[in-house]
Amino acid sequence: METIVPKTSAVLSSLLRADFTTQWRNRRSSVLILLVPVVILISWKGLISMVGGPFILSSCITVGLIAIGLMGYSNAIARDRDKGIFQRLRVTPVPSWAIMMSRLIVQLVMIMLLTAIVFIAGYYFDGIRISAGGYALTFFVAIIGGALYLGLGQLIVGLLMSAETVNSTTRLVYFIFIMVGMVGGLLIENKSLKNIIQWSPYGSVKDILSASMEPSKWSNHTTMALLATIAYAIVFSFLGIKKFKWNSK
Amino acid sequence: MNNQPGSSILEVEGLNVSYGSFKAVKNVSFNVRAGEIFGLLGPNGAGKTSTLSAVEGLLKPQSGVITVAGYDIKKQPLHARASMGVQLQATSFQPELTIAEIIKLYAGIYGVPLTAEKLAAILQDIKLEESATKRFGQLSGGQQQRISLVISTIHDPALVLLDEPTSGLDPQSRRQLWERIEGIREKGHGVLLTTHSMEEAEAVCDRVAIIDHGSVIIIDTPQIIIERHRNDPAVITASRKGKITLEDVFIGLTGRTVRA
Repeated sequence: METIVPKTSAVLSSLLRADFTTQWRNRRSSVLILLVPVVILISWKGLISMVGGPFILSSCITVGLIAIGLMGYSNAIARDRDKGIFQRLRVTPVPSWAIMMSRLIVQLVMIMLLTAIVFIAGYYFDGIRISAGGYALTFFVAIIGGALYLGLGQLIVGLLMSAETVNSTTRLVYFIFIMVGMVGGLLIENKSLKNIIQWSPYGSVKDILSASMEPSKWSNHTTMALLATIAYAIVFSFLGIKKFKWNSK
Repeated sequence: MNNQPGSSILEVEGLNVSYGSFKAVKNVSFNVRAGEIFGLLGPNGAGKTSTLSAVEGLLKPQSGVITVAGYDIKKQPLHARASMGVQLQATSFQPELTIAEIIKLYAGIYGVPLTAEKLAAILQDIKLEESATKRFGQLSGGQQQRISLVISTIHDPALVLLDEPTSGLDPQSRRQLWERIEGIREKGHGVLLTTHSMEEAEAVCDRVAIIDHGSVIIIDTPQIIIERHRNDPAVITASRKGKITLEDVFIGLTGRTVRA
């Protein structure tokens, strides 16, 4: 009797079905992740005339991307590692990369959903309209920005073993990004501090998102911010994958 | 793949596993045959779990060769893993999924076509037909073990690995699981199980290996091991009721000291 190794596409399809079901059953936390950017969007309505629609939309999408990468992805990975769910999958004929690929595809869908929701909310609540090209480019750039935060989430679960520690660390990092990125970006006057924020993971992603909404305003600075985002994503992902252990015991 | 009764399904040759400078498994060799239940026994920290993890492909041994149904675990890991079914000691499935969804997931992973009728038959066979929509965490320990066992054999593997399958079960559930394990053997599968229960090993295992301090001390049938050591002074001292059992021999061979 010949042993049959199932096709990777069939295995991936089974994993995806299970991971999407899991995400759906956790819809309360998904809704919370998507709700925060919408609340910011509505509460910042008065700032549109001062900073412009793209600034507001890009800030909201960035906050959502941070939440997806840090709160959604990394906590789910840490929990499943802690409970031995990964070990159970790894003793089957599933390549390890397929387990992670399935998780990442679910998060990519979340990123697309977040971007769409922010656009819809921006249109209906704040009357923000951008060009069709701007909408399309932003979806693409949101995936690149999302990759940075998924990489950061991967780095955190790579460096920390306990699910509780991962949870508290991601909350802290999320809070720091929100405070430094949003509040700091608007209120801090110090030029070198503004520079640091601008080239931080928060600032880089926000800048490329903002520019992607107005493709005509794409500048050399935006290209540099895009390169910085890609570099952050590569470094975080590389270190996160290198340090990652499938078993927390 | 040769799945004839008595043919070797699992071959472990010269296995060595180390954690830093600590050698957890030292030159361990054994085989499991088709239609056989093989028990791996040993005190805590003896090297059972490390041996099993190496067979499962969860850790890389420093040296040694492991073949499952003729597939080298290093060279053809996916084929080797497709040839085995595994029930881990602390099995956990996604808590958000229902029992039916978990079975569908693993059937898909192993490439087993699963119709609604087949799924119903599986659930009926393990007497969980009314629990299809329940979550894994809502089941009792015995029910969880039945689900784990059915998932580990859903693809009809040549080798089934069971890591302390009856740990924490009541006598009824344990007996029922023994019958299921014996049923796996009747179908011609090879079974490798680890257990702390010598009663279990004596009751269900065709052969056992006692492992201690990372090395195999003895491999044989429980009856032959008892016969061979029944007059050892350490075994007689360990005996509590006059009749020599596998547990007495185990204590006699591995010592009375409690391991961490």
